[in-house]
Amino acid sequence: MPDIVDIAVSNDAFKTLVTAVTAANLVETLQSPGPFTVFAPTDDAFAKLPPGTIQTLVQNIPQLTRILTFHVVSGKLTQADLAKLGTVTSVEGSPIKINCSDGFEIKNATVLIPDIEADNGIIHVIDTVILMG
Amino acid sequence: MLSALIWFPVLGALGIGLWPNASAQLIRWTALGIMSGVVLLTLGVVLPFDISAAGLQFQELLPWIEPLGLNYRLGVDGLSLPLVALNSILTWIVVYSSTQSLKPKLYYGLILVVNAGVTGAFLAQNLLLFFLFYEIELIPLYLLIAVWGGTKRNYAATKFLIYTAASGALILAGFLGLTWLGHAANFDYEAVQHIVDAIPAGLQGLILLTLIVGFGIKTPLVPLHTWLPDAYVEASPPIAILLGGVLAKLGTYGLFRFGLGLLPEAWTSLAPLLAFWAVIVVIYGALAAIAQHDIKRMVAYSSIGHMGYVLLGGAALTELSIVGAVSQMVAHGFILALLFYLVGIIEAKVGTRELEALNGLMSPIRGLPLISALLILGGMASAGIPGLVGFIAEFLVFQGSYAVFSWQTLLCVVGTGFTAVYFVILLNRTCFGRLDNALAYYPKVLWSERFPALALAAIILFLGVQPQWLVHWSEPTTAAMAQVAAAYEPSAERIGFGTITQAIAELTHPAAPPTPLALIPPIESTSPAT
Amino acid sequence: MPTLEASTKLPPSTHEFAEVIHRLEAGGAMLPDTPENLMQIIGIYKAYAVPMDFYWRDLLYIAENVFLNPLPFFKYFLPQKYLDLPNHYAGDSADLRIWRGAATAHPELLEFMAKGETGKMPKLLHHLFHDRVNMEFAEACMQAMLWHGRDMGWGLFDGYLDSDEYRANADRAITAYFKYNPPMLALYKLFPEMFLEQCRMMSYTANLGLFWEVMAPVFFEMSDIYDEGGFKGVPDAMNFLVNGIFAIAGRPIYHHVYIRGECFEIIPKSKGFMWLYEAALPYVEAVFYRTAPFRGTKSYNAQARQVPADQKDFHYGILYADVFPVGTAGIPPTLLMQDMLHFLPPYLVEYYQQHCRGEGDTLIQLGITFQRSMYCVTSAVIQALRQALLYPLDDPNPKHLAANRAFFEAQLDRFKRPEARLRDIQTQSYR
Repeated sequence: MPDIVDIAVSNDAFKTLVTAVTAANLVETLQSPGPFTVFAPTDDAFAKLPPGTIQTLVQNIPQLTRILTFHVVSGKLTQADLAKLGTVTSVEGSPIKINCSDGFEIKNATVLIPDIEADNGIIHVIDTVILMG
Repeated sequence: MLSALIWFPVLGALGIGLWPNASAQLIRWTALGIMSGVVLLTLGVVLPFDISAAGLQFQELLPWIEPLGLNYRLGVDGLSLPLVALNSILTWIVVYSSTQSLKPKLYYGLILVVNAGVTGAFLAQNLLLFFLFYEIELIPLYLLIAVWGGTKRNYAATKFLIYTAASGALILAGFLGLTWLGHAANFDYEAVQHIVDAIPAGLQGLILLTLIVGFGIKTPLVPLHTWLPDAYVEASPPIAILLGGVLAKLGTYGLFRFGLGLLPEAWTSLAPLLAFWAVIVVIYGALAAIAQHDIKRMVAYSSIGHMGYVLLGGAALTELSIVGAVSQMVAHGFILALLFYLVGIIEAKVGTRELEALNGLMSPIRGLPLISALLILGGMASAGIPGLVGFIAEFLVFQGSYAVFSWQTLLCVVGTGFTAVYFVILLNRTCFGRLDNALAYYPKVLWSERFPALALAAIILFLGVQPQWLVHWSEPTTAAMAQVAAAYEPSAERIGFGTITQAIAELTHPAAPPTPLALIPPIESTSPAT
Repeated sequence: MPTLEASTKLPPSTHEFAEVIHRLEAGGAMLPDTPENLMQIIGIYKAYAVPMDFYWRDLLYIAENVFLNPLPFFKYFLPQKYLDLPNHYAGDSADLRIWRGAATAHPELLEFMAKGETGKMPKLLHHLFHDRVNMEFAEACMQAMLWHGRDMGWGLFDGYLDSDEYRANADRAITAYFKYNPPMLALYKLFPEMFLEQCRMMSYTANLGLFWEVMAPVFFEMSDIYDEGGFKGVPDAMNFLVNGIFAIAGRPIYHHVYIRGECFEIIPKSKGFMWLYEAALPYVEAVFYRTAPFRGTKSYNAQARQVPADQKDFHYGILYADVFPVGTAGIPPTLLMQDMLHFLPPYLVEYYQQHCRGEGDTLIQLGITFQRSMYCVTSAVIQALRQALLYPLDDPNPKHLAANRAFFEAQLDRFKRPEARLRDIQTQSYR
């Protein structure tokens, strides 16, 4: 089974994410056994951010890393697992609220495709870049 | 020279009155020019004035209606000179600070007439002449209140008129009594002074009481003061300055010139009563001021209280206390003028005089910072803070009177403490605290509006640190007055209420024997050795 | 954003500031959208940006070079190096070139520093005459952030100041700084916490300097756009700020100290501290909302509970401030207004002359304009937070819109207290 990075690279909708992960040198981490749960924003999600946002982050790797690790939770959590938990703690350290009462929402992002299983974890595709706070 | 001081403003008033089609601005400037002339003329009297002489200077005599004993006799001494100067300066400021567009000719003309009348009264050395001048300023002032006053101006002006007319009647009665009972050749001051000893002591006391009540209304002394708060508050700020700064001084001046000056013996006898009265005036004025919610009314009551110090100084009859009393008249004139002027500015800018509504005027940009600062200075001067002229005057009075009337003096000192109380209330509410954000869009105070206040403050401060300039004009005169009165000191018990009641009895039934009601036996000898 | 439709999907708000909430839901600001407001806020941004160009440079100079100097007499004497220090977000060398403008100190600032109000004379005399840019205001803001930092609930910065890692870093820097100063070193051994606290203050100084380094070019750019006829209304200006907040959110916040040419990284960039979380949001909370009562502006009776027991309930920031005492000598708000007074654009000078006391109370008029402009900045922050953490204004999901509304209402609840100026700025009669 492909790992998380393989799935992301193989999909055209994650170009920005892959670029960011590469820039932040997180590729190796995400290829490690993990397991991880990754909330993967699509290119459209990144495009919704005002201009300059990504550029500044890419120029400042530690800060970019922080934003990216906010999208990662350790452990392999399916939609059903997340629904039970309500809130999970990201690798970045900040909490992420899960709302399954009406569809499947991660903070203010809506999950487009849930439960994409990978070798070392699971991916939930979301429509918005989530931010701490 | 002295005549010029009187008639120049009168001519000016006539000129203004007859000037056709002049704009209000032009009239104001003309009046100001005339008053500047008056100030210069005053300087012409002040500069050559011999400060070492006790008697009258620059005397002028013009026999007038001899059958009546009315002579046009003028003179100035250390008692009247500071008051004449005060009158000229304050009237100048009154004209400067008035921007009257309603009937300006009449307004400025009347102010000039008042100035002339007051100066005349200070200079007159003939009792009838004094009375004429004293009455002359009554009508202009009535009009100044009734035409240009506040909402209750008619009530206030009428009350003022009735009270002051009564005051005039009493004074006239006193003067007539003096002259007729003493069979004086005419109403000249000196002539009357010489024959006073011929009047029985009891009658002297009666006449003095008449004069005291007469002048006491004008001063005013509690409980004859009830016209004052209304008149002061309803009058426009410049007129309030005229009333409080200048007119009130006619009352105290009259007390000293004609009460103490003509009837020293009776005055000496009544002194304890006067000292007690002074305490009541001081304490009442201060307590009444504490109770006020209107800052103008507060200042008006403070004015009442401060007249008590003058009375105390006069009652104590020491050289120091009399010079203190004269200084207090001048000091009070300047301080009251400053306070009324500042209250006028505050009312004009903020639109209210209510303590509850005023707040935070010290605020440096949106408030009235300089006006507030000067108000604090004025309050400090009025409360007798050292370094300001109010302290000098009060200190001289207390220093001079303590030896004679110790507990009365102490009570008056407590009264100055009350003065501090109401000024702290006034300043704390008005100047400090938070400026109301919803209301504080007051127009700015122009430098031309600040100028009179600054000038008055400068005078107050200057005379406070250099009191010699205030005191040395009157020292010889007041010293002489004190000496004359001191001669009667041993017989201080002679004239009491008993003799006065008896005198009344004698007047009504000339042949009747001494009434048994008399507490003190009547004494036949009319005067002690002088 | 054409979202009036979206907002009508919800029943009208019953909040005290329902009008303002509906405006926010329609993509507007708390400040009403009038040409007069737009002119005022842009003009004041420009007047604020010039001294801010000095503030950030000097704050960085103090944090990086003056550091723990026990007698910092010359900390406001900015060396040429810092005047030339290229702004990371302006000029040709910028990391992100979305705002025009030069990288070095603004020409109007240099002109004022040379001449001041009084005329050309040595820097020392300008300083002593107080004819200069008043850093006291900037330091007051820094102190507000330091004092409120602990419980503001934003970012990881303040927590890091208590970590062992920070203590170790600070210790290295302090020891190096006082290497040739035995008395101070001895004092440090005796009272290490005191020195550490000073060091924390310097870290906040760096934090604020880095925050304002971004804001200065943003405000200059807004002024330029307005002068070119760019903004059509207050929402345009606010959205420009919202975009700016996002664009710069990832800018690192750090504290480096230069001691004898060597760089000590007390807070290294690698900590990942971000402009948005570690600087901007704490700044808004500490300076706009909370701060502390400025001495000289009002008397408080703590026994009568006139001062809140909890720091979080403090409400003395510019959004609540009584601007009328401005002018009282030496208080930081006066110093800020005085700084802005020097750089007002001509149209604002003319505008103030037409109102109230004209030149006589320009200081207060511009202070109230500043208050208005900061309501616009706060609106931008609120909209940015909504955009980052919640949902678009035109979201089709009513639940999302309700969440947005709940967020707006919670934000405006903070302006219910009587001191808040939100009511006042709704009309022009407050000036």
